[in-house]
Amino acid sequence: MSTETKPDLDIDRSRGDFRYDVSYEFDAGLGLNERTIDYICDVKDDPDWIRKFRKDALRKFEAMPLPTHWASPDLKSIVFDNIRYYLSQGTQPKRSWDDVPDEVKKTFERLGIPEQERKYLAGVEAQFDSESAYSNIKAAVGDQGVIFVGSTEGLHKHPEIFRRWFGKVIPTGDNKFSALNSAVFSGGSFIYVPPGVKVKHPLQAYFRINAENFGQFERTLIIADEGSELTYMEGCTAPKFETATLHSAVVELVAMKGAKIQYITVQNWSGNVFNLVTKRGLAHEEAEIKWIDCNIGSRLTMKYPGVIMKGRKARGEVISIALAGDGQHQDTGAKMVHAADETTSNIVSKSISLGKGRSTYRGLVQIGSHLKGCKNNTECDALLINEGSRTDTYPAISVRGKENSCQHEASVSKISAEQIFYMQQRGIPKAAAMSLAVNGFVNDLVQQFPMEYSVELKRLIDLEMEGSVG
Amino acid sequence: MSLKIENLHANIGDREILRGLNLEIPQGEVHAIMGKNGSGKSTLAKVMAGHPDYEVTGGSVTLDGQPLFEMAEPDDRARAGLFVAFQYPMEVPGVTIANFIRAARQARLSESEDLDAVEYYGELYAKMDELKIPRNFTSRAVNEGFSGGEKKRCEILQLAMLEPKYAVLDETDSGLDIDALKIVSDGVNALRSPARGFLVITHYQRLLNYIVPDVVHVMVDGRIVISGEKDLALKLEAEGYDWVEKGLLA
Amino acid sequence: MKISHDVAGGGTWGGDRAAALGEYEAAPAPARKDEAWRFANLSALDLSEFVPAGAVSDEGRAIAASQGLAEVSAKMVFGNGRLLDVGKPMLPGGVIFTTLEAAALEHAALFEEFFMAQPAGLGSHKYAALHKARVSGGTFLYVPADTEVELPVEIFHWVEGDRASVYPHTLIVCGGNSRVTVVDRFQSIDGHRAFACGVSDLHLGAGAKLTYIAVQDWSHSSLALHLSSTTVGRRALSTALTANFGGGFVRSESMSRLVDEGARSEMYSINPMEGTREIDQRTLQDHVAPHATSDLLYLNALDGKARSIFAGLIKVQPGAKGTDAYQKVKNLILSDDADPHSMPGLEILNDEVRCSHGATTGPVSLEELFYMQARGIRRDAGQRLLVHGFFSSLLEKIGDPKLRAHLGELLAKRLAIS
Repeated sequence: MSTETKPDLDIDRSRGDFRYDVSYEFDAGLGLNERTIDYICDVKDDPDWIRKFRKDALRKFEAMPLPTHWASPDLKSIVFDNIRYYLSQGTQPKRSWDDVPDEVKKTFERLGIPEQERKYLAGVEAQFDSESAYSNIKAAVGDQGVIFVGSTEGLHKHPEIFRRWFGKVIPTGDNKFSALNSAVFSGGSFIYVPPGVKVKHPLQAYFRINAENFGQFERTLIIADEGSELTYMEGCTAPKFETATLHSAVVELVAMKGAKIQYITVQNWSGNVFNLVTKRGLAHEEAEIKWIDCNIGSRLTMKYPGVIMKGRKARGEVISIALAGDGQHQDTGAKMVHAADETTSNIVSKSISLGKGRSTYRGLVQIGSHLKGCKNNTECDALLINEGSRTDTYPAISVRGKENSCQHEASVSKISAEQIFYMQQRGIPKAAAMSLAVNGFVNDLVQQFPMEYSVELKRLIDLEMEGSVG
Repeated sequence: MSLKIENLHANIGDREILRGLNLEIPQGEVHAIMGKNGSGKSTLAKVMAGHPDYEVTGGSVTLDGQPLFEMAEPDDRARAGLFVAFQYPMEVPGVTIANFIRAARQARLSESEDLDAVEYYGELYAKMDELKIPRNFTSRAVNEGFSGGEKKRCEILQLAMLEPKYAVLDETDSGLDIDALKIVSDGVNALRSPARGFLVITHYQRLLNYIVPDVVHVMVDGRIVISGEKDLALKLEAEGYDWVEKGLLA
Repeated sequence: MKISHDVAGGGTWGGDRAAALGEYEAAPAPARKDEAWRFANLSALDLSEFVPAGAVSDEGRAIAASQGLAEVSAKMVFGNGRLLDVGKPMLPGGVIFTTLEAAALEHAALFEEFFMAQPAGLGSHKYAALHKARVSGGTFLYVPADTEVELPVEIFHWVEGDRASVYPHTLIVCGGNSRVTVVDRFQSIDGHRAFACGVSDLHLGAGAKLTYIAVQDWSHSSLALHLSSTTVGRRALSTALTANFGGGFVRSESMSRLVDEGARSEMYSINPMEGTREIDQRTLQDHVAPHATSDLLYLNALDGKARSIFAGLIKVQPGAKGTDAYQKVKNLILSDDADPHSMPGLEILNDEVRCSHGATTGPVSLEELFYMQARGIRRDAGQRLLVHGFFSSLLEKIGDPKLRAHLGELLAKRLAIS
């Protein structure tokens, strides 16, 4: 818990199958307290208001209990004192390629991941340098006056815009983990799109050089000014090996009048990660915010993308695919808060539980009594593949006002034996038939992802299915 | 070389439906089975295909000498050369016709071989044109929202693309109007060959005007009771099944 | 929340009442953070103003007013928890239809096996304990195996007196392959605010068929808690329909447990609400055995500032393969201040199942309303007709035409009043 400034030391530490060289230059040490915050602020040269913001958040984090009265008791396994809350570039742990498990290598092979990327994803290299891809995006973006930088840079170079919206969509005290993020955030993107600009190229965090972007406590803030349009993508289908077991990101989106933001996430963290994310968008008049979310990895993911429809005719949408295999719990959902007339929201969630995996849907739809002409449609479907597979659905719908309506449908089923038989009669072996059926189940949602992702997603689902068809 | 069924007994749950059925369809011939509802016609098709609801309690089926029931999985039998066009084809949501047939074709190739996409689509479109299935159906999910006629044509398209040794058509004519019937029959007739056998299962004689059989069999209570030439079908149409049943009791 | 009165007309039957009262007092009151009480209006649960109910002032009048179906096989009338009348029962041999108190003494073995056998698992264990401490005015109906009771059995529970409290109980045990229909009526004599804490427990043996109708019509200022459990055996069928016509604050907890293959439970509820009335419904379809089915349909129509909470869970345990379970709640909103909340839920631990739930919330169809107005029907009358149509669809689920007609009359009368 003290900030260490020893000279470079080569320490052979094994943590599971991990070995790494550590230089202690930028390491806040284990555990979290005010001095950790001071350390972070000093290293990043944060302005005073951020230092205060972080400290307030730390107090809130410490005061709030774990939400185990409704969430998974597995949360109790997180040992907060045993986590490093700030690790800068040079101190990312490395792995030797030989130590990478065979299944991981096989996945890379099947998904057709280029050699260079494999090493980064497997944790063999601390950063992935795709200068060319990144500079293409930067050029396209620079021409249109779009700002696309890391959160630290955004904070320093564009304080007027940053400060106006930072922490406004998701207040620090929203939940214990947004408080944690607000205390120790680092990395993530800051994006501002000027009025009327429609960004043609989807922006991706993946190709940024700064390795901090895959840090544990990313903070992303995206502002689309009036009439602008933007698609942002984060994550990738290939499994990303992580040593850090706690990921607690916060993403805030602001869509001004008539703006459109589409935020696409594919999450495939390794099976030891707790992925607890708070994501919310604020949609002004006639604006649209759409979350497209795919959760395949991690030990426990808790994520409920939300949209607050603040202006007339605003629209919120959440499209979610979750795949839970052995030892995994995908606890996802959506929150739609209607706060203006004629707002509409749509939630489509499809989950697949394999082996002993568990998928849970939690939803919240709120429409106030003073509003008129609001509509919500929710559809959640769960597919169970094996005997021990589990699924739960817990929506909460509070719709008032007699000119509003909402419809919620949920179903749970397994792949129809008739369907499998039909496919087998055409010569398709059972395992392939199951994969086809599962891909068919999520097909209409997979179509909503950009093409590169949708192809990879299908392959990934096939891979996951292979293990479970027995 | 034939599809030979010997003394086949099969149950669904506790009920015996097939009670010692014997039938042989030589390569190159078209045989028809006619029978009342409940005679077990569809059961025969499903039992051969390996439908999980049915249990074979006796007898055997060989396909060109290969014992069918020793192939445990329906896809093994399919790859051995058996095709069944179902009476009520299943919907497979989210799986397009193009991908479905492609997966079926790919399953017949060895591990290292890959289907040539250009060749595949060329063939697929040609056959769709012949069956008057609009080309944009390739991206529709199999049978989802299809009319009865569209479903049957989709079955025949699959038959055309998979080129089986023996094809069993289970009441392919049910729910079809004259135009659809002609198209489907033309499709089937185009696939007749000395290397292929057909078993056409039907309730009505009308289909057999278009797909003219070499032999007609009558099924009563899970057994073949009479076999004859194509005018047997006409006699059934004119006189019904009573005379057959009376003959059995005599 | 202490009730400062002695047991009314009770006695010592039904187990250790003092212990039950102790349990009630020790149990914590429901809190906002309790999942089972999410969205609930907890301030309504203050019981301090309620008092024991004295004897009914005019027994004859209460008995005369207990007219429901034209033909019944047996009838029982209770006033403020005391038996007023048993009519002329015409029941097949072996059928036991008696007060709970009598049953505890004369059929002790049966009574002990079934009385409050199911724990109150949906949030009200505190009130279940209170009920156990104070229960009086209860009915025990036992139908032996292979016995069919042709005409329905009817039970009336009346309450009278300002702030009076009653604890009605209905315990029905159906032997294998038996058939019976029971209609349970709950009404207020004088329209005063009262407190009712009732329980109905239904047990069906293999192949049994039970239709249980409950029409709750306490005064619109009353506080009513009702806990009900249904246990369904092999290939048995339970059809339960509850109409909540009264009560200012109603909390109803309904649990169905499908314990053997082929069991089926149908759970229906009709809830017209207006003014500031609140109905809080918690349900559970608990699938323990394989190849069982359940179907739940709850209909709510909310006017004025009425408020409803529906929280229903379908739980499928690991061994329950072949489960087919459905759940639907429909909320018809008739005013801007109506406040419906829906929380349909699923917890599935077996893969070979077909389960679905749905919740819809919305106003009457404007097109339908316009069509009626175009035919000269006034808007509010048209709306009433649509609301009536909305609820009538549920009555179709009742097989017996006479029973259906009777319920239709009660419904029509209720909707015209509002």
